[in-house]
Amino acid sequence: MLFVYAMPIDWEPIWLTLRLAGITTLLLLLIGVPLAGWLALSRFRLKPVIESLISLPLVLPPSVVGFYLLLAFSPTSAFGAWLLRTVDLQLVFSFPGLVVASLLYSLPFMVHPIQAGLENLPLSWREASYTLGQSPTRTLWRVLLPNCKPAVLTGIVLSFAHTIGEFGLVLMIGGNLPGQTRVASIAIYDEVELLHFDTAHAYAGLLLGLSFAILLLVYGINKRVTV
Amino acid sequence: MIEAAVSMPRLFAEGAGTLNVNLTITPGSLTALVGPSGSGKTSLLRVLAGLETPKQGRIVVEKQVWFDAGQGINRRPQQRSIGYIFQDTALFPNLSVRENIAYGASADGQTLVDELVEATGLNAFVHEKPTRLSGGQRQRVALARALVRRPQLLLLDEPFAALDDPSATQLRHVLLDLHRAWGTTTLLVSHHDADVRVLADRVITLVQGQIQEQPHRTTPAKRERIDHIYFDEATRQWVIETATGQLRSSDVRWQQATAGDFVQIDWMRSQS
Repeated sequence: MLFVYAMPIDWEPIWLTLRLAGITTLLLLLIGVPLAGWLALSRFRLKPVIESLISLPLVLPPSVVGFYLLLAFSPTSAFGAWLLRTVDLQLVFSFPGLVVASLLYSLPFMVHPIQAGLENLPLSWREASYTLGQSPTRTLWRVLLPNCKPAVLTGIVLSFAHTIGEFGLVLMIGGNLPGQTRVASIAIYDEVELLHFDTAHAYAGLLLGLSFAILLLVYGINKRVTV
Repeated sequence: MIEAAVSMPRLFAEGAGTLNVNLTITPGSLTALVGPSGSGKTSLLRVLAGLETPKQGRIVVEKQVWFDAGQGINRRPQQRSIGYIFQDTALFPNLSVRENIAYGASADGQTLVDELVEATGLNAFVHEKPTRLSGGQRQRVALARALVRRPQLLLLDEPFAALDDPSATQLRHVLLDLHRAWGTTTLLVSHHDADVRVLADRVITLVQGQIQEQPHRTTPAKRERIDHIYFDEATRQWVIETATGQLRSSDVRWQQATAGDFVQIDWMRSQS
């Protein structure tokens, strides 16, 4: 522990990264679970369109997503101007903007594992619940989600880990403002640019250790999670 | 009265065809639906439950229209008064036995849950998870759970298929006792002649999606001389042995028969 604090780094980017990943994961959990449930249970005709939109960040370069979000969030755009006028919120080059962008960018990492987990459960469980008079929503919360805890846990971890590692998107939307948008991945880039390899090593080593610890925790918990 | 006249394209064991069923079921009866694998038995149960939608037809239960293709009426499974027992029991592994049974119960239905736990002999297992139960015990939980809403129609899809003989016999007794006590109109899909002999008031044979007019026969229909008749304490059934086979029933009227009498097998069944 003493070794960690003795490292020649500014801790602000680390805490900012953890704060961004934590808030994003929590909000994604609230959005992603109902969305995954709806996608798993729905027979909506346009479902493939929704699924494609959610999955877009998986195939698009982060700079492309970042570019379009930058345009959308800009105060000169209709949406950006409306936000600024009505709730006094500017999303470009601000922490709230990073959160919104991270939500969109990490959404498939939360939705896909949970949707797959739900779809892999026996169809008869869902049908049994319906024949017992229960709605799809109650079926989701009482029967389906409790029986795919590992999938939910995987979604949480992937979203958290993916947000920690964001770089291109953060740079496009947030820039490099210390204390507001300068997350660890940006700090590493800065330090390398300045040829401060010791500091870059410290940041990179911290992220490496943190990511490994998270994955280890998840695989450990996943083995213990039994119905 | 339950009246179903439904039609839908279906893939049967012998190839593509049409499930075309016109069926009337008397309230309080226990009807067995038999036939070869892939003949549409499970599909018919699923159509009645609202889990599948027929292309054409009409289902009316006690004057309530559950399905009418012409009028665009199709009640969801939640809106049909049914109990459904799935082949794999479909018990929820995260809930205990009691929680499974109480899952569909109304807020004031806890007394009924207790009654069903008692009637199905599950008192000792109420706090266990279904994965810790035997196949027969799981089927009894599924039966109790299906009855907890006091359904107008109980649908059972091969409930005895995966059970050994003692477990199947025990479950048959529980089912028969509950059927007699509650009088729930029941439709049972089964491959087993024993189920049909012991349980059913009526037998319907389905072949490639069509109801066969001739009654299902598990033994010859001609009059046969009774060689022996006795009461089997283990299964609580009367047993008649003839030269060509053995018949079993829980119907008390069978005790009037004696060795040397002639028995018309279809008559005995229709009277039970």
